[in-house]
Amino acid sequence: MVSYLIKRLLQAIVVMFAVTVISFTLVRMAPGSPALLMLPLDVATQEQIEALEEKMGLNKPIPEQFWIYLTGLFKGDFGMSTVYQQPVLPIIISRMPNTVRLAIGTVLLAVILAVPLGIFAGAHRGKVAELVCMVFALLGQSMSSMWLGILLIYLFAVHLGWLPALGTGGIEYMILPVLTMGYPMAASLTRVARSGMVDTLSEDYITAIYAKGIRKFEVYTKYALRNALIPVSTMIGLTLGLNLGGAVVVEAVFSWSGIGQLINQSVNSRDYAMVQAMLLISAFLITIITFVVDLINSFIDPRLTLN
Amino acid sequence: MDKKILFGRMRRSYFFMIGITGILIIFALCYLLPVLIEWDPVATSIVNRFIPPEYFQDGLRGHVFGTDHLGRDVLIRLLIGGQYSFRLAFVVVVLQMSIGTVMGIVSGYAGGWVDVLIMRICDTMLSIPGLVLAIAVMAILGASTLNLILVMTISGWVQLCKVTRNNVRVVKQQEFVFASKGLGANTWRTMFIEIFPNVTTNILILGSQRIGMTIIMESSLSYLNLGIQAPAPSWGNMISTGRQFLVTQPWLILAPGFFLMLSVLSFNFLGDGLRDVLDTKRRV
Repeated sequence: MVSYLIKRLLQAIVVMFAVTVISFTLVRMAPGSPALLMLPLDVATQEQIEALEEKMGLNKPIPEQFWIYLTGLFKGDFGMSTVYQQPVLPIIISRMPNTVRLAIGTVLLAVILAVPLGIFAGAHRGKVAELVCMVFALLGQSMSSMWLGILLIYLFAVHLGWLPALGTGGIEYMILPVLTMGYPMAASLTRVARSGMVDTLSEDYITAIYAKGIRKFEVYTKYALRNALIPVSTMIGLTLGLNLGGAVVVEAVFSWSGIGQLINQSVNSRDYAMVQAMLLISAFLITIITFVVDLINSFIDPRLTLN
Repeated sequence: MDKKILFGRMRRSYFFMIGITGILIIFALCYLLPVLIEWDPVATSIVNRFIPPEYFQDGLRGHVFGTDHLGRDVLIRLLIGGQYSFRLAFVVVVLQMSIGTVMGIVSGYAGGWVDVLIMRICDTMLSIPGLVLAIAVMAILGASTLNLILVMTISGWVQLCKVTRNNVRVVKQQEFVFASKGLGANTWRTMFIEIFPNVTTNILILGSQRIGMTIIMESSLSYLNLGIQAPAPSWGNMISTGRQFLVTQPWLILAPGFFLMLSVLSFNFLGDGLRDVLDTKRRV
């Protein structure tokens, strides 16, 4: 168990290092000097560019630049925003709670919908109930979030006038974005829960429990559920990451002021330090989430630690 | 597998039949219908702005789905946009499948440090949300079709690679592989001629699902103005335009969104259907 955890931790560190290399190279792959990217478009003079290159250490050899970048990250220096003229990290952190709020709502909605549906479908293989659940899931995976979001706005905000269409705020503002992100996530979780249930029910120990004469309902809830949910918790971790990507679109649709919207604004205002930091931070977050999920799974099912 | 059995299974699988029918209908519409429509997908005409859908009152000579804020016919833009989306999605998915398969086979067959290296590359790619990476790359390198293909390919081959690798690790333990090695097959032959045909099932299933995902991703990028660039039509940028006129001209988003959903749905049905058809072990 301990050696498994150490191994996973090392893997996570390797991944974080690799992501750092990618985000470092990405800005240097851009046409022109990285200093040019950090300055407002077309108005910078040659002296300003050179001064910034000097300040950013761009005249030093590449490995040394990377070292400066890497050590900067440890000190919490993720770069300077050209738009806000401030370090990017505090700005990103200040936007974080709004995105986290949506993410929590989304995961809650998805789990509440998907787990019962998926388990039910898996327990009723080949019946109409399964077909209905699968069509619900396929439909959810086929809706692009921007279209679903705009449809919901049209229905609930424009047509019925029940909910506000745009903006950041309390519960009434959260409902539509959460529905928009929650339905596709519920769709993929339903599929995972269903196949988890199907796989678990075909295992020998379930047959053995049946042979003991235990009621079907109890077999499902008491014995099969726990193992069927392992792929679900893995999937929740994975989709949390996808959500960060999805948040970019959904926050743009609903003008929700979270980090997704911040990425959009940074792209539009060519604030590359912000984009770079965002890439890095979202990857770090996902690596941590995946690590925690693996940790939880290894407690649910210790067999997973046996390579 | 016998062709007769294969076709029989295809006919019996509702999901497969619904998927393939949907795809064929949408393809026929996107590639054949534009011949019959005389409107131009990019030419603007201010006098004809915001004509509401005329449906088939005038046959195909009217504006079946209305016109947008620049007076362009929505239907022809929809169909041409569909052509772009499908072409892009196919190129991207074929590239993803090629990279994913080769990396997966090498990783699974070679094992050892090669496997560790490739798996860590996969983990790294998985840790960056595809859309965030795509946005960053498109923003920094500039929005062009080549960059679009590039970012969508690099963010999507990982799943194929991981699944193929796990398959190969099982297949390489089977006796026919030892037999072929015993007959003097070299590593390349073993990997790509002996093992590869045994891992194609999952690649095909995942590939058809990836087409749907790629279409969604492309339209999301186009929605954010980082994908297919105006004035060229795409479902994403049509929805993004329609968003501005949602209250007064809702038809501008309804038609492209519906087409987008139906195509992705068809490919997802096809993917599930292919699983029923090809994956013999999962059949009841």
